Amino acid sequence: MRALLLLTAANIKSFTRDRAALFWTLAFPLIFIFLFGSIFSGGNNDRTIGFADLDKSTHSAELQAAFASQPNVKLIEASEDDLVAQMRDGKLSAVLVVPAGFGATIDAKTAPATIKVYTDPAQTAAQGATFQLVGGVLGAVNQAASGRPPAVTFTNQAVQTQDLTFISYLVPSILGMSLMQLGIFSAIPLVADRQKHILKRLQATPLRRWQLVGSNVLMRLIIAVVQTVIIVGVGATFFHVEVSGNWLTIGLLVVLGSLAFIALGYVIASFASTEESANGMTSVVQFPLMFLSGTFFPIDSMPDALRTVARALPLTYLGDALRQVMVGGTAFSPLWLCVAFLVVWLVVCFAVAARFFRWQ
Amino acid sequence: MPSQIQTVAGPVIRVRDLHKSYGQLHAVDGVSFEVERGEVFGLLGPNGAGKTTTVEVLEGLRKPDSGEVSVLGVDAVRSPDQLKARIGVSLQTAALYPKLTVVEVLDLFRSFYPSGRSTGELVELMDLGEKRATRTQDLSGGQRQRLSVALALVNDPELVFLDEPTTGMDPAARRMLWDVVLGLKSSGRSVLLTTHYMEEAEILCDRLAIMDHGRILESGTVDELVSRRFHERAVRFDAIDGLDDARMAGFPGVASVKHENGAVLLFTRDVPGTIGAVLAASDGLGVEPVNLAVRRATLEDVFLDLTGRALRD
Repeated sequence: MRALLLLTAANIKSFTRDRAALFWTLAFPLIFIFLFGSIFSGGNNDRTIGFADLDKSTHSAELQAAFASQPNVKLIEASEDDLVAQMRDGKLSAVLVVPAGFGATIDAKTAPATIKVYTDPAQTAAQGATFQLVGGVLGAVNQAASGRPPAVTFTNQAVQTQDLTFISYLVPSILGMSLMQLGIFSAIPLVADRQKHILKRLQATPLRRWQLVGSNVLMRLIIAVVQTVIIVGVGATFFHVEVSGNWLTIGLLVVLGSLAFIALGYVIASFASTEESANGMTSVVQFPLMFLSGTFFPIDSMPDALRTVARALPLTYLGDALRQVMVGGTAFSPLWLCVAFLVVWLVVCFAVAARFFRWQ
Repeated sequence: MPSQIQTVAGPVIRVRDLHKSYGQLHAVDGVSFEVERGEVFGLLGPNGAGKTTTVEVLEGLRKPDSGEVSVLGVDAVRSPDQLKARIGVSLQTAALYPKLTVVEVLDLFRSFYPSGRSTGELVELMDLGEKRATRTQDLSGGQRQRLSVALALVNDPELVFLDEPTTGMDPAARRMLWDVVLGLKSSGRSVLLTTHYMEEAEILCDRLAIMDHGRILESGTVDELVSRRFHERAVRFDAIDGLDDARMAGFPGVASVKHENGAVLLFTRDVPGTIGAVLAASDGLGVEPVNLAVRRATLEDVFLDLTGRALRD
C-alpha cells in the first residue's frame, strides 16, 4: 500500500514537473473556455431579469425601482409573454410579473398583494439567487410597513429554459475533452518508461504489475478531479455557468470517462514502440475525437455521414452525459446508453491492452 | 552498514545449459556456470556476447528457451517473484525516472521492500550527497550509474547483479564502486557483474567466465585463466616496418607472436634473449624500438588468444 501511494506520488510529481503535460491537461481546456466564453458571452456580469408591470400604479413603480437598485441586476421591461419567451431562450434568468390591481390591494390593506416569479427549477443556483433577491426586496418593502401583516408576497411559476447558452454547452463539453486528453496521454509516459527500461527495472523489484497500473490510474483520477474542479470553477466564476446536477453522479461520470480513455491510452501504449510514435498516435486519436464528438457544437447540426462517425466515438457519449447531468442539456442519447457505451468501451480497451501490452 | 549474511551451503547461482534466441540470433547458446556464496563472479566479454541476456534471465526478467536456472535456491524462470525481494539489480542502462530527484527515486524504490538500507546511508555510500536534490535527468552518465547501483542496494540484498556498472564513470568513481563491491563481498554478499574492463575484472572478481557469441569460452580465477594459457611473459613494442612475424617467431624463447592495437606482443620464456634479439634486429634496420616493455600475460591476452580479437575495439 505504501509502495502504491509513493508510486502514485512519484507519478504526480513527474506529471506536474512536465510542462507539456501541464499545458495540455490544464491550460489547453481553459484556453478554449476563455476564448469561446469571451466571444459568445459578451462579457456581461449582470443578472438579467424580466419585469412586466401590468398594474402601472405608484406601488408597482416603487417595486420596480427597488429591484432596479439591486447591485448587478438588470431589468428588461416587456409584456409577460414576450419575457417568458426570452427566458425560454436562455436570455433571462427570471421574470417578475406585477399583476393588475396590485396597488389597489396594497391600499386596501385587507390581504397581501402578490407578484409572480418565473424561475427554472433545473437551474438550481439561478433559482436560489432569484428567490434570495425577491425575498430581500420584498422583505425591505414589508419592513417599511412593519407591525402589520406582510403587504406583498410572491408565487413561483416554473419555466423550463429549453436551450442552453453556448457557454453552458461548452463547459461540460470541454470537461469531457480534457478527460479524454488526460486519459489517452497516459500512453506517452508509459511508453517512455518502457523505452527507458524503467518498467523493466520495476519488474526486478517486488512491486506487482497491478500496483504499477493502479498507481498510474490513481494519479490520472486525482488529476481528473482537479481538472473538473478547475473547469467547473472557471465556468461558474467567469461565465456564470450554473452546475446544477448531483455531484455524486458527476463524480462517477468523471471517473468512468477517465477510465475509458486511460484504457484507450494503454491500447495506444500497446502498439507504440517509441515515445515519438506514442506522441504521433495520441495526436491522430485526439483530434478526430475533439472535433467529431460534439464538443463545440451539437452533433445534430452535423452532416449525416459525420453524425454516424460521431455515434461511434466515446467522447460523444461522455460529453452528452456530462451536459445532461451538469447543466440539464438536451439528451442526444439517454443517460443509460451513454454510461453503457463507456463501460463497453472500457472493457474492450482493457481486453486489447491486456492482450498486446508489452512490459519490455 | 549492511548486516552480515548467514552462510548457507551451496552456490547462490547455478545455471545449466541456458539457451535464448532472438529469431536467428543465438544470444545465449548453452551457458553453464555456478557462483558460490560470498563470491564476486564476473562475466567478461565484448558487447553482444550474451552477458546481459544471461544476467536478465537470472534476474527473472527474461524467459530462456531452455536451461535450468537456480538463484538463491529459487527457480528464477518459474518463480521469479520469490526472488525479487532478495536480489539487487543494476541494469546496463540506468533506468531512472527523469523528473524525480536522487532522494525521491531512492525513497520510492525503498518503499517497494519490507526492509533495507536508508536513503541517507546509500547517498553517502555512492557519494551522491551534492546531488541529493538533483533530478536524475540532470545527472552525468557516471552519476546516473552510481544512483543505479545505489538502487540495487536499497533492500540490502543477498545477491547483487551489476550489469556494466562502471560504464561512463570517471576513474575516481570507478575506484569508489570497486570499494563498494569489495565491501559487499566482505559482508558476505555475492555479486555477479558483467564488464568489458579487464582491469576491473582482475581486481574485483574471485572467478570469472569469458563469454563470446553466447558461449562461455573459459572460466576460473584470473591466475588460472592466465597460467593455463601463458607460461610466458610478453615483450611488447610498437610494430617495426620490415620486422615480420616469421622472423620474430624465431627469436630466442618466443612461443607466439600477436598483434594488438599497432603493437607487437612476443610471448617468450626467455625475456633477456628476446629483448636482445629485438634490439639487434631493429639496430640492423636503423630504428629504435618504441614503447618497449615487458609484462605478464593479462586477461586481455587470454581473450585475444581465445577469440583472435581484442576485447575492446
